[in-house]
Amino acid sequence: MSTKHEGWGWMLAVDFFFAGMGGAMLLIAGIIELFVGEGRTSLVGNLLGPVFMCVGCAFLVFELGRPFQSWRVFMNPKAILTAGAWTMSIAIVVGLAYASFGLDPAWFGVEKLFWQDKYLVRKLLAVICVLTGLVVAAYPGVLLARHKGRPFWVGPGMITLFLLSSLVTGVSAHFLSGFAFPPAVVPGVLANFPLLAGALLFFQLVVWFGYLWVKRTGATAAEADSAQRWIAGDLSGSFKFVFLFLGTLVPMVLFLQASPALQGVGALFVLLGGVVMRCLVVRAGHDRTWLPGEQKYRGRLPLGDEAFLKAWNK
Amino acid sequence: MSKNVDLEQEGVEVRKSACYFCHQNCGVLAYVKDGKVLAIEGDPDFPTNQGGLCCRGNIALQHLDHPERVNYPLKRVGKRGEGKWEQIPWDQAIQEIAARLNGIKDEFGAEAVATAGGTQRTDDWARRRFMNLFGSPNGFHNSHLCWIPTFMVETAIYGWCPFELDMGNSRCLILWGQNPGAAGMPEMHHITEFQSKGMKVIVIDPRFSETAAKADLWLPLRPGSDLALALAWINVIIFEGLYDQEFVANCCEGFGELADHVEQFTPEWASPLTWLTPEQIRAGAYMYAMNKPGNIQWGTSVDQIGKPAGSAMHARAILRAITGNLDAPGSDLLTGPSPDFITDEEMEANDRLPESQKPKQIGADRFKLVTWPGYSRIAEETKKVWGKAPTAEWMCEAHPPSVFRAILTERPYKVKALLVSATNPINSYGETKLVLDALRAVDFMVTCDYWMTPTAALSDYVLPIAGALERPTITSSYGCSDFLLASQRAIQPMYERRNDYNFWRDLGMATGQKEEWPWETVEDAYYHRIAPLGYDAGTYDEFVELYRFHFPEREYFKYQRQGFATPSGKVELYSSVLKDLGYPPLPPYIGPSENEVDDPELAKDFPLVLTTGGGFMPYHHSEHFQIKEVRFLRHEPYMDINPTTAAELSIEDGDWVWIETKRGRIKQKANLTQGIHPRVVYTQRGWWYPERDMRDPELGGCLESNTNVLTSTADEHCDPYSGAWANRGLLCRVYKVDASNLKGGK
Amino acid sequence: MARYAMVLDTRRCIGCHSCTVACKVHNGLPVDMIYNPVTTVGPTGVYPNLHQVHIPLLCMHCANAPCVDACPTCASQKRDDGVVFVEDKMCVGCLSCVMACPYGARTLNDETGAVQKCDFCKERLDAGKKPHCVNTCHQKARIFGDLDDETSEVYKLVNSENAARLLGELNTEPYTFYIYGLEVKNP
Repeated sequence: MSTKHEGWGWMLAVDFFFAGMGGAMLLIAGIIELFVGEGRTSLVGNLLGPVFMCVGCAFLVFELGRPFQSWRVFMNPKAILTAGAWTMSIAIVVGLAYASFGLDPAWFGVEKLFWQDKYLVRKLLAVICVLTGLVVAAYPGVLLARHKGRPFWVGPGMITLFLLSSLVTGVSAHFLSGFAFPPAVVPGVLANFPLLAGALLFFQLVVWFGYLWVKRTGATAAEADSAQRWIAGDLSGSFKFVFLFLGTLVPMVLFLQASPALQGVGALFVLLGGVVMRCLVVRAGHDRTWLPGEQKYRGRLPLGDEAFLKAWNK
Repeated sequence: MSKNVDLEQEGVEVRKSACYFCHQNCGVLAYVKDGKVLAIEGDPDFPTNQGGLCCRGNIALQHLDHPERVNYPLKRVGKRGEGKWEQIPWDQAIQEIAARLNGIKDEFGAEAVATAGGTQRTDDWARRRFMNLFGSPNGFHNSHLCWIPTFMVETAIYGWCPFELDMGNSRCLILWGQNPGAAGMPEMHHITEFQSKGMKVIVIDPRFSETAAKADLWLPLRPGSDLALALAWINVIIFEGLYDQEFVANCCEGFGELADHVEQFTPEWASPLTWLTPEQIRAGAYMYAMNKPGNIQWGTSVDQIGKPAGSAMHARAILRAITGNLDAPGSDLLTGPSPDFITDEEMEANDRLPESQKPKQIGADRFKLVTWPGYSRIAEETKKVWGKAPTAEWMCEAHPPSVFRAILTERPYKVKALLVSATNPINSYGETKLVLDALRAVDFMVTCDYWMTPTAALSDYVLPIAGALERPTITSSYGCSDFLLASQRAIQPMYERRNDYNFWRDLGMATGQKEEWPWETVEDAYYHRIAPLGYDAGTYDEFVELYRFHFPEREYFKYQRQGFATPSGKVELYSSVLKDLGYPPLPPYIGPSENEVDDPELAKDFPLVLTTGGGFMPYHHSEHFQIKEVRFLRHEPYMDINPTTAAELSIEDGDWVWIETKRGRIKQKANLTQGIHPRVVYTQRGWWYPERDMRDPELGGCLESNTNVLTSTADEHCDPYSGAWANRGLLCRVYKVDASNLKGGK
Repeated sequence: MARYAMVLDTRRCIGCHSCTVACKVHNGLPVDMIYNPVTTVGPTGVYPNLHQVHIPLLCMHCANAPCVDACPTCASQKRDDGVVFVEDKMCVGCLSCVMACPYGARTLNDETGAVQKCDFCKERLDAGKKPHCVNTCHQKARIFGDLDDETSEVYKLVNSENAARLLGELNTEPYTFYIYGLEVKNP
């Protein structure tokens, strides 16, 4: 029968993508603020971090069966989702506050914005950005990794993969933001980020190979089967062509080019790869550790569009 | 119904009703308020189901008011099968039908009116009463496939059919082609209980059925080769000294002739015919004969093997006798008809059918056992000992395939009208194409049913019948047991539905039988039947509420007091009754209806052996496909095929495949399973698709997956004793459905 | 306080699906929602030496229920008697519990937007009755009772027979126990 609601759908994958990217953008902005210097990241990039998290939240809310009661998700201190919701809320507020230091007072017709010279506040916000951004960037991986009955997700590897993907998309997004609105200190992100992104992509590639290898030769048959879906099964086409080729190899090559335009194209491909990877991972999680005989049983249930299901509905 | 129904609220009444979706009639408690059933549950105090209900039992409320139910009398206004109906008052329908039947009777004789019935789900004595008073001998059922030939052969041999098993004391149970694990839950429950206490269970079935999976010994024989197995068992039991010498010496006639007759039928002889090893055959014979007392459960598969059926029943009956497993504690009990309450037969008015009409019964010239010649001969014997006769409705019927042929060929005479009650012959009688042609051709047809079935869709009138919860029930095993279980209706019939009893009564009164139906309601008639029992109850409902059951004290070894109801008073292994009727007095070997030994040429074209008709959850025959709460479990038809065979035919699990016999082909999906011999396939029965167009010629896809397209009713495939046709042991071929044949992914 | 548990005796189960249907109709579930499927393993082996076992499923009512921990709204709860259930009005349909449950025991109801699951028919328990699936089982393959009561049938079966838990290695500690025949330890 219909399996569409037996697991998370694409909207949650998109939430993971935006939230992870946004979290990583905060993290990156904070680290650069603290350790490299002010004004190296674009104002647009700093703003987009929290905005992306908001977009992610919107997708999350629409994934819910009862979107208008989404406020309830803050209720269970034991639940990862509750922790994520709180962290993300804080990150959004703090991220926006931090980004506001990059606003030009002239836009508002004033001499100065009164908070912009509060050095300590700025640094403190940057610290919180780093911490919450890190949590938000890693947390979808943490969430998935705890699912004991989902053989593809279970284990710490998923955290690394999500964190890496968040970082590489976050770096790419900051880089692209630099085009739209150059950072105060030029070249800033524009100079260094393509190489950083390329390196992260390479590292991500290695980790993915490792992850699939570990799962394929893993402890249980269910884990091995789950990896097989990526290697030669129904997920392998999208995984290999979109994620590995378009989302990883192509941008790696493009990032090595001198032309910022080509590098920008590479960054767009990274984002494409990132969103597809999230969708594939979420879909792979629909495979539970099947109970004895369960797949055959479910395989013979109606899909939901059969005539007998509709013929006698009054 | 949801979990929030408050059953404790004021005004809720608990009615002791019964499930009516198979013969088991499990006890049901119905919670009723203001004429509406709020909830049902299994009756924990009912002796058979003890609170349990199967899939079917649980959907009583979905069945009761399903949007597809026929709720008003319908009269055809368009062309036949066009699906155009006019809703008319019940009384108008009865008057018009009665006028038409009387007209046919005047012009062509009463025998030109035939009736078709289904499984035991109606008050059939009422139908018989109507037909007898009307003057037609041409009532029939699917009874030929359903235990009735067995009943008659066994009654010929030892004077009644032992369908009451004393399983509580038994040490061995044979389930001969029976699968209570999918068809009879209360029975399976008892089997499981007794098996856990040490009773051995032997299952004879080509399929690794739900029950076979629990058996101590599973004998997967070639479909239709039951006779060879039974003969070889007799051989082993006699020649390896396992028989009950005392019982044989004192109570049996013809043992010497039997021993001579079966000497040739060794396990080695039977092995290539049954596809079992001699060791498997011996193991079964030893297990049954050495674990006494033992039972052979009655089942219907042997009734469905066609040509060898009668002889196989005879051989099986002999097994009980030579092991002494008759009417002894723990064995199969010959209960006889009830001496205390009024039996079905006594309600049937069989003496009112003119003698001159009896020879006209279609099929009586060829198949004598379950028609008037055999029935009168056997009833004569049972009356001497038991004082009563078996139910005639079931045991004495026209031969259904011959009636369908008579409609088409007008031989032996014209059959002009068919009254169909509680059956859908297009799906449930053999050789569907023949049946369909006949139903399209018959001049006048009336169908009484719950649903617009393919058969109802071809009718001139369709009458709405009351179902489970709307009717009282007396359960007494086709009227042949000495006990009864009684249940009341939960509510009066909804809409303009009526009990089938009322249909026959109304029709009888309208055709001139006014004085013959003194009981206005079913309850009145039932009370008339139970009144002689002498319980302190003023009405039938009161009897149900206060007593509900009547179980007479069990008496073993009744034959010591009264003998067996046969001409000699003994068990006639060598049967004088069969001989009188012109049948072999000892069971001869006859090959399966179609088989590779007698017809190797046919086997080249049709290399696989087909078995059909096993019941499977959650359906009952061709019923319940409308009810999505059960349909979702098995929403498409599946046939079983061994993976080895499937690989040879490039068939994968879930592929649509054609199954074809000489009669035609159907498609079902392939279920690859080790639970079937590589040369055997099994198709599910009953399939039609009520969600599709019900107009002719689509008729709910009634030819598409319907296993009866494959079965054979040709005279040469029918059992010469009873006329039972061949549902099992036929030759077939299987091949993948070409993509171009698939319609909308089906 | 009772500690409810169910024992599934696969030696008795014949795969008739009565429990599935009883649950569906009595709890008014949508057609595509099944609290308690019955799966079939087999026939295994090669004809004619075969074995087959039916596995009746349901919510395992885990002592260490991952669904309860995963629920961000506290709609998924566990009662003191062990019954795990969803408080409908608190559920937002985030599917966290659906994903967290290793047994596939939870489904979103499209119409209400909330997740539903087997709750051992808790209203019936409170009224002193047994769950519908237990009542309807002809074969008495579903045995329900109080594990704290040493005289109960479930106590005896869980402690004296070869009782196993499904996916025991996940440490969810189901209060649903399976008894297999001699031939099968764990299918």
